[in-house]
Amino acid sequence: MTDTTTPSESLKSRPAFSVLSFISQYGVILTLLASVVTFAILNDRYIDPGIRNTLNIASPLLLLALGLTAVLAMGDFDLSVTGIQSAAGAIVVLLIVNHDWYWVWAILIGLAFCLVAGVVNGTLVSYIGMPSFITTLATGLILFGTRYESADGRNITGSGGLPDIYRDFGVGQPDPWLSLHTPVWISIGMAILLWLLMSKTEVGRYMYAIGGNPEAARLSGINVKLLRASGFVIVGAMALVAAVTSTARTASAVADSGFSTLLGAYAAAFLGAAASRRALFNVPGTVLGVIFLQAVDRGLILEGYSTGVRDIAKGCILLLAMAFTRLGASQR
Amino acid sequence: MTTSALAVPTSLLKISEVTKRYPGVLAVDNVTVSLESGQIVGLVGKNGAGKSTLIKIIAGAEHADEGHLQLNGEPLELHRPHDATDAGLAFVHQDLQDVGDLSVAENVMMGLGYPRKMGLFVDWAELYRRAAEPIARLEADIDPREPVGELSVAKQRLVMIARGLAQQAQLLVLDEPSASLTDEEIEHLFAVVRRLRDDGITVVYVSHRLEEIFELTERVIVMRNGQLVADEPTASLNRSLLISHITGHEHAQTATERRASRGVGSRPDTEVVLDVNGVSADTGVHGCSFDVRKGEILGIGGLMGSGRTELVRAVFGADHRREGAVRVHGQEIRDNHPAESMAAGLALLPEDRKTQGNIMDFSVRNNITLASLDRHRVHPRVPAPSVRSEKQAADRRIDRLSIATPNDRQLVRLLSGGNQQKVVIAKWLEQGADVLVFDEPTIGVDVDGKEEIYDIMEELAAEGKAVVFISSEFSELVGVCQRVLVLHEGRIVGELEGDEVTEPAIVEICYSQH
Repeated sequence: MTDTTTPSESLKSRPAFSVLSFISQYGVILTLLASVVTFAILNDRYIDPGIRNTLNIASPLLLLALGLTAVLAMGDFDLSVTGIQSAAGAIVVLLIVNHDWYWVWAILIGLAFCLVAGVVNGTLVSYIGMPSFITTLATGLILFGTRYESADGRNITGSGGLPDIYRDFGVGQPDPWLSLHTPVWISIGMAILLWLLMSKTEVGRYMYAIGGNPEAARLSGINVKLLRASGFVIVGAMALVAAVTSTARTASAVADSGFSTLLGAYAAAFLGAAASRRALFNVPGTVLGVIFLQAVDRGLILEGYSTGVRDIAKGCILLLAMAFTRLGASQR
Repeated sequence: MTTSALAVPTSLLKISEVTKRYPGVLAVDNVTVSLESGQIVGLVGKNGAGKSTLIKIIAGAEHADEGHLQLNGEPLELHRPHDATDAGLAFVHQDLQDVGDLSVAENVMMGLGYPRKMGLFVDWAELYRRAAEPIARLEADIDPREPVGELSVAKQRLVMIARGLAQQAQLLVLDEPSASLTDEEIEHLFAVVRRLRDDGITVVYVSHRLEEIFELTERVIVMRNGQLVADEPTASLNRSLLISHITGHEHAQTATERRASRGVGSRPDTEVVLDVNGVSADTGVHGCSFDVRKGEILGIGGLMGSGRTELVRAVFGADHRREGAVRVHGQEIRDNHPAESMAAGLALLPEDRKTQGNIMDFSVRNNITLASLDRHRVHPRVPAPSVRSEKQAADRRIDRLSIATPNDRQLVRLLSGGNQQKVVIAKWLEQGADVLVFDEPTIGVDVDGKEEIYDIMEELAAEGKAVVFISSEFSELVGVCQRVLVLHEGRIVGELEGDEVTEPAIVEICYSQH
């Protein structure tokens, strides 16, 4: 009925190659490759052991960013993720070190705590209808504060008290093929699971439908409230894994506010969305974003740059990525 | 006022040999037209005929690839929308482009800057005073201090017209200005437009509602496939001639003729599929009961604001039902559970395809399969969609409904309005509902597209589905429905069946309620 093209009119030529749309599509990946190559030339310790250590250190960040990818895809924010991680880490370490719990039970209690935190966030946001940004900021603050007060603001050290098998989650023996440590493999496993969920299942399709238009999704029979709430539970589960790998690596539950980690995780997720063709939050993009930010950070550290310079560099990268996405979108 | 399309020598705006290409489409094809001062000109054509693109070029939102514009004999260069406003060209779009939180006065004076006190503070009293003047010219009862978002749609449109007046517009383009307006509001709008014409302002009136074109305009410009195919005094046209210009086809049927030729009679004597009993809702629905039989097309008519949409939303469970029961195939469905309504075989094709019907950033394929994903699995017990199965389903629907899209991966956002509507229909056909409720499926759809949607509804009924058809154009109901319910203030106040279904009968029921 509304066909605007009759065959004679349709111009057969493909749209001309556009530098802008090319950059907006591949800019992030190309910049990543360029920076890795540059740093590798500048410093022969950058690739090995630099990158490998980077991945090891970055795995909690990746786990948190993965959780955020799930809620962001549905249009929600979760700012409580590092609060949950920090509180769960303290619970697990305290139970093992101070109360002599078997590590498996301690982790299960930690998991239960994280899932409950996710259910609370999900209920407040999805069923009661409170805005996710401010709600999770509030619950995150409460969790941080409780964690801080419970140990008088000190790190809870577990050296000597944590069994070797628990410590292996944080460092472990590198595997014989790629020489990667346990937390890297755990993160890769979680990334694959979430990737399967979000891009290969019905649930994943529904998540993106909710992100696109919650009302149309609801009228199509999708249980919008349940799925949105579940996103926060996924965040909780990722926070538990991040808590275990990070406490196992440092053998302590650190009393840090975690805000720089939180912002890093958001930066990675947004960078990943910017790198995708349709600017959607997605798991491979988030993984790429984490690697990118860490690779640049690590390279600058090896070159002897200070924290301030590294922050400026990361800020510039984010701005550029967003700008290219925007320009690419206006081209279409 | 004497009006002749081409004889008046002084032209206000002259569009010469304007052409605009988009990738794959010649949107405007060598259009030349001249608009004189103080005329009401109708601009009509199917969706995608090039009307919107032509308007965007005049508005400075798009640049013509070829051709040029002249205003009062001077060349007119438009680099951005602001240039058009400065030149005295004003536009009221169908999607209201006002700022709801701001006051009426701020919206009216938008773009002209705020009056100042001591060079710094906004002089609100002066702002309200200045805004009151153009509002008064529209004889509208609107308080300049009120936030625009709290006004009715009709008043919001008037605010947009007042903005044009405040900007000293010489030319006013109204795009589907009567959409969502009650009959009374449309009358007021017409009076306003005529008064502006008498003041020497040229009004371009874009509408799919041909009755309005005949009632209001003095001259009609018809576009088809990007070309200007007719430019004639309205008086020299009749309805069927105008439709044949728009569609390029020879014949055009009236609703009554359509009803007769399709043999639409009384409703079939079959089993009841949808049974609605005493439904009330806080959205303004009061004790409505009706049923729909297999193979029946039931129309629901009523004036704007009579509660048609609210009734079917409460039935489907999109809104909360305060009381009443809904049964599909005798099985009662719970309140507020769209998924349960769907499982029972009830589907609602919502009024607004952009905000409720489609996921605009999803592909055609993913929208079509969204409500039936569990039937496109890689394996019956693995909840993962099979791309191949989805693609087959989407291609089949695209083919059957003739959805104009380059392929099934095209984003729905990039389709025309009528095709977006067909994607919504495709989704529910794929879902396989037995009762399909179409809420205003033909809004913003052109003549050919409307006929296609009627055909789809008739085919569905012939296949044994039950169809409910809501429309504010009563002639559509007459052309298609075996039975029509008339709503007034949330209550069913009339029911017509078979030969009783005529436009005057529906109108009679609507207005006898006042």
